[in-house]
Amino acid sequence: MRQDFEKISYIIGSEDILEGMGKVSALPLFSEAARTFLAALSKKLLADPRAKAYPDLMDYAFWVRAASLKRMSGRYPHKDRKIGRGVSFHIAPSNVPMAFALSFTAGLLAGNACVVRLSEKSFPQAEILLGTIENALADFDDMRPYLCFIRYPHDEAVTAALSSMCDARLIWGGDRTIQAIRKAPLPPRAVEFTFADRYSLAVIDADEYLKMDSKAVAEKFYLDTYYIDQNACSSPRLVCWLGESIEAAKTRFWSELSKLAHSDYELAPIQAIDKLTAFCRAAALENVSLRKDDNLIFRVELENLKPEIMEYKEGGGFFFEYTMQDLKELLPMLEKPCQTVCCVGTDPEILRGMIVEAGVRGGDRVVPVGETNKLALLWDGVDLCEGLSRFVNTGKDE
Amino acid sequence: MIEDFFTHSPYELSQPEKEKLLLTELRALTHHHYNNCRPYKNILDAMGTDIERIKRVEDVPFFPVRMFKELDLMSIPRDKIFKVTTSSGTTGQKVSRVYADMETAMIQQKVLIKIFGDFLGKKRLPMLVIDSAETVRNRQLFTARGAAIIGLQMIASKQIFALDKDMELQKEMVCEFLREHAGQKFLIFGFTFMAWQHFYKELLKMDERFDLSEAFLMTSGGWKKLQSESVSREEFKARFKEVCGLGHFLDHYGMAEQIGAINAECECGHLHASIYSDIIPRRHRDFSPCEVGEPGILQMVSVLPHSYPGHSIISEDEGVLLGIDDCPCGRKGKYFEVLGRIKKAELRGCSDTYAAGF
Repeated sequence: MRQDFEKISYIIGSEDILEGMGKVSALPLFSEAARTFLAALSKKLLADPRAKAYPDLMDYAFWVRAASLKRMSGRYPHKDRKIGRGVSFHIAPSNVPMAFALSFTAGLLAGNACVVRLSEKSFPQAEILLGTIENALADFDDMRPYLCFIRYPHDEAVTAALSSMCDARLIWGGDRTIQAIRKAPLPPRAVEFTFADRYSLAVIDADEYLKMDSKAVAEKFYLDTYYIDQNACSSPRLVCWLGESIEAAKTRFWSELSKLAHSDYELAPIQAIDKLTAFCRAAALENVSLRKDDNLIFRVELENLKPEIMEYKEGGGFFFEYTMQDLKELLPMLEKPCQTVCCVGTDPEILRGMIVEAGVRGGDRVVPVGETNKLALLWDGVDLCEGLSRFVNTGKDE
Repeated sequence: MIEDFFTHSPYELSQPEKEKLLLTELRALTHHHYNNCRPYKNILDAMGTDIERIKRVEDVPFFPVRMFKELDLMSIPRDKIFKVTTSSGTTGQKVSRVYADMETAMIQQKVLIKIFGDFLGKKRLPMLVIDSAETVRNRQLFTARGAAIIGLQMIASKQIFALDKDMELQKEMVCEFLREHAGQKFLIFGFTFMAWQHFYKELLKMDERFDLSEAFLMTSGGWKKLQSESVSREEFKARFKEVCGLGHFLDHYGMAEQIGAINAECECGHLHASIYSDIIPRRHRDFSPCEVGEPGILQMVSVLPHSYPGHSIISEDEGVLLGIDDCPCGRKGKYFEVLGRIKKAELRGCSDTYAAGF
């Protein structure tokens, strides 16, 4: 094993720590040690002026502050009967800067020693976070055996070695990434969670929307989409309209969003070509029509709603659009690849009810506009803390 | 009609005269492809295009050249396909397929001869091709390189292939050819990188020196690969001149999707659009046309594609108009410079990039 580990560079941790992970004590769910460490990390981040420039980093800092952790722990009444599985191995995606943070935080709160493979590409907010973790560890020697943040060039042998020592593996990435990593076998009792490429959509009640603060809605929707290049799994690709005054609502909604995109979004030349290509591919074979004033927003109106249209999805401000007579028309879109439903003026409870009642395979999250990228221990329909821990049962707990 | 163009020499029309001629033909071609290519019709319908309302060349709708990689686009029945040109792009990516019938293939040839004739004169000249005969062997399935070589047969009195099938220089034969034609006007053609790798570097190794001061080195295929070896366009010319006195360079810019309507480089180092085609750099934020001097994404129109809807496409190259009707070489119309490929985006999101290295 040592030989394979030579290719690893340690951003935080060391080879000794990595090799010792198999032996460290698993911690209880939401352990005191993990919580105080994360709360201290939060304090340092919130006090760091560099962090202010990155809303996703600030979101993380708020998410792990003491009060927030306390609130989250409330959802786990049996937390003293649960402990971590052992070692969790996290493979972070190369282009969502803060996904690794969510991943290791869940691993740690579930009581595991975490080894996190970071992408080769570095993001400034990720570097700030890593620096702050290192800094916080100075006061938390007891946490050191639990954390390794590493990088290594694509290498099947290293992935195999790390996989063979873990009790849980989390893979963030597209289908091909998951396939490639799954070639490395896991120990018989290890579990795996994969966070594959998905799509998300928005449902807007036109009449309710017209009563709302349209500027505030645009700002939130911008966070859901343009802020992450409309490329996260949780970014809406399709906007479905309901209600009476749909044309008026569309005009207001898109013009407010356009204003924001014009002032805040930097469109790269290749994105204009990518968006035109995506539209042409869809238009050549499907019944669609294009509405656009410039290249910041492409609106592709659909004659009918079917999940296959997502084969033409594109980021950077490319939206399919559909007018519904009834919310139930949405059901065919709620297939396995569908992750998040973003609600504007519609009640998430009603949508959840519809998903549960219809027994569809997709739609893991139904959240208000602005919250599609919000960090949560419930991700892709999985409760990460539950999944990464084990229940120590006395026989009286059933 | 394309015949209206043949009465003019390729660079004699001023921009307004040229655009008048182009507009009529491009509008007719838009109608033609709309009526004969279903996916093209669908795209135009989805864009809300009204062909009757095309009043200027820049109004002609365009789609990304990448679409030829996504779909089989043609405006002829399949049994009329005379040749298929493929462009490979980068290894592992989809190839684009361009379908020509006899008519389009003839027009492509004819225009290519007219354009090069403007630079080389009417007399056919012997041509040393820095490539292997294998490249043109399969006539059903041409690569862009093969298509370029075949196209140039028409301007050459004979073609000699300098490389064997393993891309090694056939030294004896090439030396003999060069000895025979030294000091005379003749042609050398090769893709930029191949001319450098398989001709310049070989010349450098030889003890014998040749006088190629009257020869024309015709190149195409772009400068990207050479730039990655830190060889600039200027250095390329200077080094060739040094090793064999080569004085005439005729680079050109074109793409497999618009074969024939090439943009040739004049004595002043400017690429010129002939009367058969034009170039419109566009702003990426809204695709509005750029001013002279303002870089943009290159849209290309050409009146040659009859068998496939490639008469108006937007490339992934960035370029800049240097001027209109006023190049010191005397050629009329737009002249420009290609700045290179637009950058691949590095975007945030959950797309699949990790697997690329596995």
